[in-house]
Amino acid sequence: MNHLDASQFLTDQHFTTDVVIIGSGAGGGIAAEQLSNAGFKVLLLEEGAYYKREHFVMEERWAYPNLYQEGAARKTKDQAIGILQGRTVGGSTTVNWTTSIRTPQPTLDYWQAEFGLDFTVAHNLKPYFQFAEQRLNIKQWALAPNANNAKLEYGCQQLGWQYTVINRNVSHCANLGYCGMGCPIDAKQSMLVSTIPAALQKGARLISRLSVRKLVWQDDKIQSLEAVPVDAHFQPTAAVKVSITAKHYIVAAGAIGSPALLLRSKVPNPSGRLGKHTYLHPTVISGALFAEDINGHSGAPQSIYSDQFVWPADSSQLGYKLEVPPIHPVLMASKLIGMAEQHAELMKSFNQLQVTIALMRDGFHEQSQGGQVSLDQEQQPVLDYPITDYLWQGMRQALLSMAELQFAAGAKQVLPLHHDAKLYNSWAEAKAGIAQLSLTALRQTVVSAHVMGGCNMSASADKGVVNQNGRHHQLSNLSVFDGSILPTSLGANPQLTIYALVWKHCQHLIAELTPVLEDSSFRE
Amino acid sequence: MDRRQFILSGIALGAASSLGIYGWHSSFNENNDNRDLVLSALLPALLYAALPQDTTMAEQVNRTKAAVSDFMPFLAKRQQQELQQLFNLLANQVTQLALTGHVTALAQLSIAQRWQLLIAWRDSYLAVLQQAYHGLRELLFAAYYGQPEHWQALDYTAPKYR
Ligand SMILES: Cc1cc2nc3c(=O)[nH]c(=O)nc-3n(C[C@H](O)[C@H](O)[C@H](O)COP(=O)(O)OP(=O)(O)OC[C@H]3O[C@@H](n4cnc5c(N)ncnc54)[C@H](O)[C@@H]3O)c2cc1C
Repeated sequence: MNHLDASQFLTDQHFTTDVVIIGSGAGGGIAAEQLSNAGFKVLLLEEGAYYKREHFVMEERWAYPNLYQEGAARKTKDQAIGILQGRTVGGSTTVNWTTSIRTPQPTLDYWQAEFGLDFTVAHNLKPYFQFAEQRLNIKQWALAPNANNAKLEYGCQQLGWQYTVINRNVSHCANLGYCGMGCPIDAKQSMLVSTIPAALQKGARLISRLSVRKLVWQDDKIQSLEAVPVDAHFQPTAAVKVSITAKHYIVAAGAIGSPALLLRSKVPNPSGRLGKHTYLHPTVISGALFAEDINGHSGAPQSIYSDQFVWPADSSQLGYKLEVPPIHPVLMASKLIGMAEQHAELMKSFNQLQVTIALMRDGFHEQSQGGQVSLDQEQQPVLDYPITDYLWQGMRQALLSMAELQFAAGAKQVLPLHHDAKLYNSWAEAKAGIAQLSLTALRQTVVSAHVMGGCNMSASADKGVVNQNGRHHQLSNLSVFDGSILPTSLGANPQLTIYALVWKHCQHLIAELTPVLEDSSFRE
Repeated sequence: MDRRQFILSGIALGAASSLGIYGWHSSFNENNDNRDLVLSALLPALLYAALPQDTTMAEQVNRTKAAVSDFMPFLAKRQQQELQQLFNLLANQVTQLALTGHVTALAQLSIAQRWQLLIAWRDSYLAVLQQAYHGLRELLFAAYYGQPEHWQALDYTAPKYR
């Protein structure tokens, strides 16, 4: 069997391999398949459990504690931003909402100007977008959008705003709407059902419920890594120690997990950027009550987006993307405002609730330099993400756009998720009301499902943690292959960018590693 | 003790010493009784109008309390400690005065007084009390609405594929 559950280890363990990959999400999954295909001995490590379709329960009370970091209750340091991130085999791809968008050209242009990253000729991402789209069956969603998305579409039509039908990584999707709890029919082409089983088939080994604590390094090389099993609540334990030596180390623990591991390992950090410039697409939410049923829990969660405001003509303004989220009881109850009667009343309208979200494109302005990962007493990551006035201004603009859109789509009432807001009965009332809201931390509800950065790519070592190929600038046998290498946010949902970048990085790594491994006595 | 815990204890300690009470110290120890006591007092206030006003109310409150204790170990240890400290401080006769403004035990406050207390935290100038409000609110609503038995008012059922 090529899967081991570390929580079953009774004694200390040691493993040897060609390539060890830490984290099995978007980056780790792609890397596992590419490197296994190229003939390398691959060991894939994941702190979450190896749950598969037969384990998934379509209830949030099961899904959040079992499939998400910190039970889906991860927060920034001041508790002002709620963060959704996966923690299971397949990482966030196991629980994500399947929206698949190529990196916007203006983002790549910005990276070239600011970080010297050239994705034109030799590093062109286009073929890799195509590979990933083919591999994961990424296609435009052909069915009608569910009512939640249809309102976004209709509002855009009414106002003459741009909108797009979303491409999704699904195959034989039954349009259920439970993508966030793990696909119960293996329709979602997450890493869990695509690259990871393919890599295991090729001989890769997977160790789940194993939390990597530290990379041990000397001079310019990693020498080994240290890991521990997690307990039934996914907390690292100290009972048993696991050590692994490899020829090459790939860190793919996500944009909070990867910087945390590198910080714990105290790796060289001459640019000072490790764990810094972490981006979130900080997201504000607007609820709307319709006369008819919306049933936002049912049907593909995301099938329409609007890029009307992502790239404002005045480039000093903050751009934001409009989408909708799936609507489930816990997600809604915990984010809706108020308590007692006010809250109970809103929950009674659960099925008539349409929800629009606006994702801020952070990282493109001096007043939007993201957050910083540090370690708490338990050596676990905490993200400090101060929200600047510049971001608050953009968020107010976004709340206005969403209210305008929802009224244009026929909403009876609109409720921005801000703790002083009320149900507004018209666009005029909402406009006046939103202008008055004091946008401050905790008062204004802010969330994120897109964590990016913290180990950014850069051409020169003084501007980033890894180079254009995801190789660490200082440690020669270390790569970082996940969302943490993005130098800014994207202005688009991240998974396809990560797939394509990592796929490309793997080709480069395979070419460099092949001669090293062939002439080495390392392989017994 | 990290900064947040320090501030929270500081508030309670300050109040205790200004009343001339010494020898008080905060505790992060897990104490199920304290958690139970605080949840029993706050759930009926926070969930007022969602909870049924009949004999099944106690059942729903108990189910929600159980869901809170089942869920808490999945939180980051840091967050668990903060919550536990809040429960301990609120359950403590002396320190709860600082956090609630009442000498009466939490359980003896009327529902309306409990709302006022929660609103006072929400609107407090102290970030740590705002965090306590939002942290508890999210935890308790999630625990309540996570239970299929409580979905009737929503007219919602979770699909079953197996
Ligand atoms: C609810 C939700 C919805 C989303 N919807 C979309 C969408 O529709 N479209 C889109 O493009 N993107 C979406 N995203 C975001 C997208 O899934 C992520 O950006 C992407 O998966 C990130 O890839 P990654 O490799 O950086 O990290 P992840 O996919 O998060 O994987 C990292 C893995 O590393 C593991 N790990 C962390 N630390 C350690 C350690 N120390 N030891 C061992 N393992 C460790 C984690 O448990 C995790 O499984 C969504 C995310 C969420 C949470």
